[in-house]
Amino acid sequence: MTGYIVAMRIDPALVSKVAALAALELSDAERDAMAGQLTRIVEHFEALRELPEEILAGEAVPRATPLRPDEAQSGSPGALVEANAPAFAHGHFVVPRVVTRD
Amino acid sequence: MTEPSPAALLEGPFTALADAVGARRVTARAVAEESLKRVEMAREAFGAFLSTDAAKTLKEAGDVDRRVQAGERLPLAGVPLAVKDNINVAGRPSTAGSKLLLGFVSPDHATCVARLVGAGAVVVGKTNCDEFGMGSSNENSAYGPVRNPWNPARVPGGSSGGSAAAVASRAVPLSLGTDTGGSVRQPAALCGLVGWKPTYGRVSRYGLIAFASSFDQAGALTRSVDEAARAFAVMAGADPKDSTSLATPVPDVLAALRAGARGKRIGLLAEASSAEGGLHPDVKASFEKAAETLRAAGAVVTPVSVPRVPLAVPVYYLTATAEASSNLARFDGVRYGARKGDASLAALYLKTRSSGFGPEVKRRILLGTFALSAGYHDAYYGRAQRVRALLAKDFAAAFRGVDAILCPTTPEPAFQLGAKTDDPLAMYLEDVFTVPASLAGIPAVSVPSDFSRDGLPIGMQLIGPGDSEPLLFTLARVLEDASGALARRAPGAVS
Repeated sequence: MTGYIVAMRIDPALVSKVAALAALELSDAERDAMAGQLTRIVEHFEALRELPEEILAGEAVPRATPLRPDEAQSGSPGALVEANAPAFAHGHFVVPRVVTRD
Repeated sequence: MTEPSPAALLEGPFTALADAVGARRVTARAVAEESLKRVEMAREAFGAFLSTDAAKTLKEAGDVDRRVQAGERLPLAGVPLAVKDNINVAGRPSTAGSKLLLGFVSPDHATCVARLVGAGAVVVGKTNCDEFGMGSSNENSAYGPVRNPWNPARVPGGSSGGSAAAVASRAVPLSLGTDTGGSVRQPAALCGLVGWKPTYGRVSRYGLIAFASSFDQAGALTRSVDEAARAFAVMAGADPKDSTSLATPVPDVLAALRAGARGKRIGLLAEASSAEGGLHPDVKASFEKAAETLRAAGAVVTPVSVPRVPLAVPVYYLTATAEASSNLARFDGVRYGARKGDASLAALYLKTRSSGFGPEVKRRILLGTFALSAGYHDAYYGRAQRVRALLAKDFAAAFRGVDAILCPTTPEPAFQLGAKTDDPLAMYLEDVFTVPASLAGIPAVSVPSDFSRDGLPIGMQLIGPGDSEPLLFTLARVLEDASGALARRAPGAVS
């Protein structure tokens, strides 16, 4: 099997990489604490990787979520959507400028 | 005939309360007033509630009185209902125990709420919970911990800890929780209540704030099995708003509730005794006593093995966190919630999420993102998914020999607040007996079976194949009768 890693250790650099993927910003202290905790958790999960491959060979991943027919339905009432929005104008959610011309 | 007092009705089963309101011997409004008083006490004493709206509750109770007056027959007429704060109730806040959702007001009812309200229940408040349902002690709420009405130095369990404390303190007879890996059953066990999670898809997930969609289910907490079964009968059913809800007929849980255990084949989970971290001696004794109770009631009780149960915690914490990392991506500060950082869109995402999520939620998002990330996906998430399938097969094989499986709900009674907050792995291992049924998508009921030597409730869990809820409630009733738990009142219960 490809991509197999032995004796997993989640170091601070890996925590930073994963945090960036998850759009989370961690302080140095948070990052270091997470590294220790996640390493301990993942070490405990090594038992999963010790299962012989042949036991799992026939196991398919669970079925995909069933989907309802793709038919238009009425959504949430607009006023409540607007009331919950941090910033809302002209029927749209307002966010910081994404496209700039320079 | 004397008029029953609302206080006396809140001490008894909600069936009697609904009968009294239905027969107009007491008004739903008078019951709601008494419940609201108790809700305030439960909020102060145990931190059980996050929000109330007395005017709204009294108006809705008045609506129930008018429906009764107009001749509507309502199975839950005037029953005060507490709802976990990650379940939507129209016009009320839903924070899911998170700072990130502070100020969010639900636009509509979750389907399970709509069904209970349709049957006459009256929402009296939203209950405290671990943030986004992530925790086993209710110490991960951004709004403070919940305390156990049996002993306020102990945790109530989680993540539906506020819903459990609300019922155990007798503020309400019925509360709603969500159960992703045991979040209804575990607090039920630690607070001396009945808690169930249905067959996956039997109760709609519409209106639940998603944590892990292939696990999340709504369930109810009550003091008795009869009430638990009645809540199930109202909540269960197909829902076009949830594509994973089951379209098959809902099994009748009320018809044979008193049928007893005679002739039923019960498997004692062999892996329970060797659980990692050990089994508390009082829980072990209660497990043996429960087996004996079922045997004495005429059941055939034998050991049964579900070999992959010891792997259930790793499988659960890899797959559920992976789903959480995806589900919680929606909390980005754009459409709802407490927005932070306006310098750029990327900064808005980063600042909103980093300041809004608490440490356990961040930990789980990181773990799930790691398990899904390039280079690790096959070894962690992919492998866990395949072991999940294997575990479901283990259960299916076990159910060829037995009708239901008995095991403790938790390895120990309620622990001290703060005892496990510095050790996330120790906290995860509390879920060792509840996550297997969640992984397999099968129903399970926790029922009070005994009390520890220091007076804390102990719960036993009955697990069955899909759609076995009628049998599980019937067997739970046998254990309830033998335990005498119904006659005991939490020392912290309000009155």
